[in-house]
Amino acid sequence: MKKLALAVALALAAGGTLAQEKTVRISGFGAKTGPVRSFGINSEAAMLAAADLINKGGGVRLADGSKARIVVDFYDDACNAEQGISVIRRIAGTDALVAIGPTCSNVAEPLFGILQKKVDDPGDTGLQFPVFTDVAIKIGLARISEWAFRNVPNEMTMYSSLFYWLRQKYPDLKTVWGGVEEDFAHSRTTWHVVMKDRATANNFQVLGESKWLLADTNFATQVREMKKANADIIAISAHPFSMCGALKEMQRQGVKPKVLVGLTSSSSLETLQGCAKQAQGMIIPTSFAPVNKEAKFAAEQTAKFKGTADLHSMAAWENMFILKQVMESERISGDKSQIQADRRKIRDGLAKLKVTKGLLGDTKRTDDREADKPYLFVQARGNEWVVLHNPL
Amino acid sequence: MLDFLQAVSDGVLFGATYALIGIGFTLVFGVMHKINMAYAAASIGAAYSGLLLLEVMAGAPPAAVFACAFLAGGLLGWVVYLACFHFIPLSHPLATLMSTVGMLLLIDEVVVHATDGMPQNYPAMFDDVMLHAGEFTLRGDLLLVFGVCVAAMACLLALLYRTRLGLATRAVSQQPIAAQLCGIQVAQVNAITFVITGLLGGLAGAMIGASVGTLSPLLSGPLTVKGLVVTVIGGLGSIPGAIVAGLLVGGFENVFQLYRGVTERDLYVMLLLFAFLVFRPGGIFAPRGGRD
Repeated sequence: MKKLALAVALALAAGGTLAQEKTVRISGFGAKTGPVRSFGINSEAAMLAAADLINKGGGVRLADGSKARIVVDFYDDACNAEQGISVIRRIAGTDALVAIGPTCSNVAEPLFGILQKKVDDPGDTGLQFPVFTDVAIKIGLARISEWAFRNVPNEMTMYSSLFYWLRQKYPDLKTVWGGVEEDFAHSRTTWHVVMKDRATANNFQVLGESKWLLADTNFATQVREMKKANADIIAISAHPFSMCGALKEMQRQGVKPKVLVGLTSSSSLETLQGCAKQAQGMIIPTSFAPVNKEAKFAAEQTAKFKGTADLHSMAAWENMFILKQVMESERISGDKSQIQADRRKIRDGLAKLKVTKGLLGDTKRTDDREADKPYLFVQARGNEWVVLHNPL
Repeated sequence: MLDFLQAVSDGVLFGATYALIGIGFTLVFGVMHKINMAYAAASIGAAYSGLLLLEVMAGAPPAAVFACAFLAGGLLGWVVYLACFHFIPLSHPLATLMSTVGMLLLIDEVVVHATDGMPQNYPAMFDDVMLHAGEFTLRGDLLLVFGVCVAAMACLLALLYRTRLGLATRAVSQQPIAAQLCGIQVAQVNAITFVITGLLGGLAGAMIGASVGTLSPLLSGPLTVKGLVVTVIGGLGSIPGAIVAGLLVGGFENVFQLYRGVTERDLYVMLLLFAFLVFRPGGIFAPRGGRD
């Protein structure tokens, strides 16, 4: 009987401790339904894994010196702009301090548009809520709002470096032909604004481009254009499904460029699952590869939460640790009644950052709230992406 | 001129898959006067099911995967019939239409959840064969797809016009009340029609997977639209119409892409549909109306 009373007392004490335990909420959002569901799953897994690690280490230190546990929840926006806006409004209505997301640039762009453009602008009634993007990669989006921050690679820098490296390594190569998924914000911008420009800047002659759509099934005409152009380098700015379709058609028609370049987002498991054989030799610049102890550890931890480590999900992992650091340096209260003040502190803290710690090394923060992340070039070999070159 | 011929031949060969999808829409419409919006999604779902064979039997030949997709298509067709038609009053056309839209989304999302939306490598036959006539080329795998589709259509026509089941199906299609009075089990014929169209859909899904080389849930939306376009252009309820319209849409699509680019391609296909709706609303082979 005494033992039972003791157990009850201990349980009550533990319950009391739990009830008093402070928490800070970080909400994730992205695509968890639809064809890009894997991005949302991986980001969520990386966030949960990072939160688990932080909580095991004691959690986040608050202004009064107490510790708070990080709570993560994740919302599905289905890569749909209207749903994304609805989700961010919903998150802003909870006790979440900050949100990590979204997956798609076509969601990020209008979503950043509903945030307050300039802080402290009394005439702007936009949402005052910090968003720290991990995946949506279309260039220049964070400048839409001072509440928007991103930890995505700078494609302009990466492709500049890649074409420079190709120029040095293969001086005989002269010409480039593009393959572009024309109806997807990221892939379209990356070809027309980034790849084409950076190839020309490095003295390659861009002969033209073949266009297709995300859900296209027949690439015969486009690949015939490629074949006629007979370019030394073919740069494909497309996501795995249509890229695999195009690569398979290239194989059928015997199109074998000397160098094959791919889109940042395609250095993923999806490409290997869809067309590993045809993607062999493809070179892609990426901001993540499990090349060091930290990166391998992050990948292992994420796998425990049923996620895959790639350049996108590992940005979510990094964001969690950056946010922990900001919450502590800005001395947030963790008090639910002070939620808006804490959100503002997080925004200001993120804006102050000049350098953050990333899995591949230090990431420079730019004045327009973007990241200049370390990167390397990976190549498809067998059933994996292997590091081909580290330009830094 | 060579580019034109090449575009037409590629398009027509690939159009055989559109024809199979169109047949599925048109057969259900012909028999039940209902549109099954879930048809293309079920076809793609069946093609995915074919891949399950590779899970349990690594290295299974492509033909076995196609056969598995074919059978899964029949099963899915029956499930769609039960869920969207059997228990829903057929006198409310919107109810069945919306239930099939719901089924389309459901099948798509099941596939997305099962695969995390990742594209799946799909086996193909003769994908390394390319027939050359000077600079003119024909893909071996597309020729196979075309051949399989033509054979499937021939089997379907034989079933409809040479068997008692076909006779019953045509009877229900033309005069359901008279057919019922003659002792034909209308509900049973409807269910069998769904299984048959499902089998065709499974085959179409597998052929699409084989010709693209990759499967993605992204496919079902555009294929639904293409299937409906083919059905309308061919003439609602007309199987020969669906066949001709499938090949026609495939060819036109590729020619428009060649001359006007991919961003305008679908616009011209829709204009073609619009032209048919205005000048020949019954489609190429408008079926004669029944007495009921």
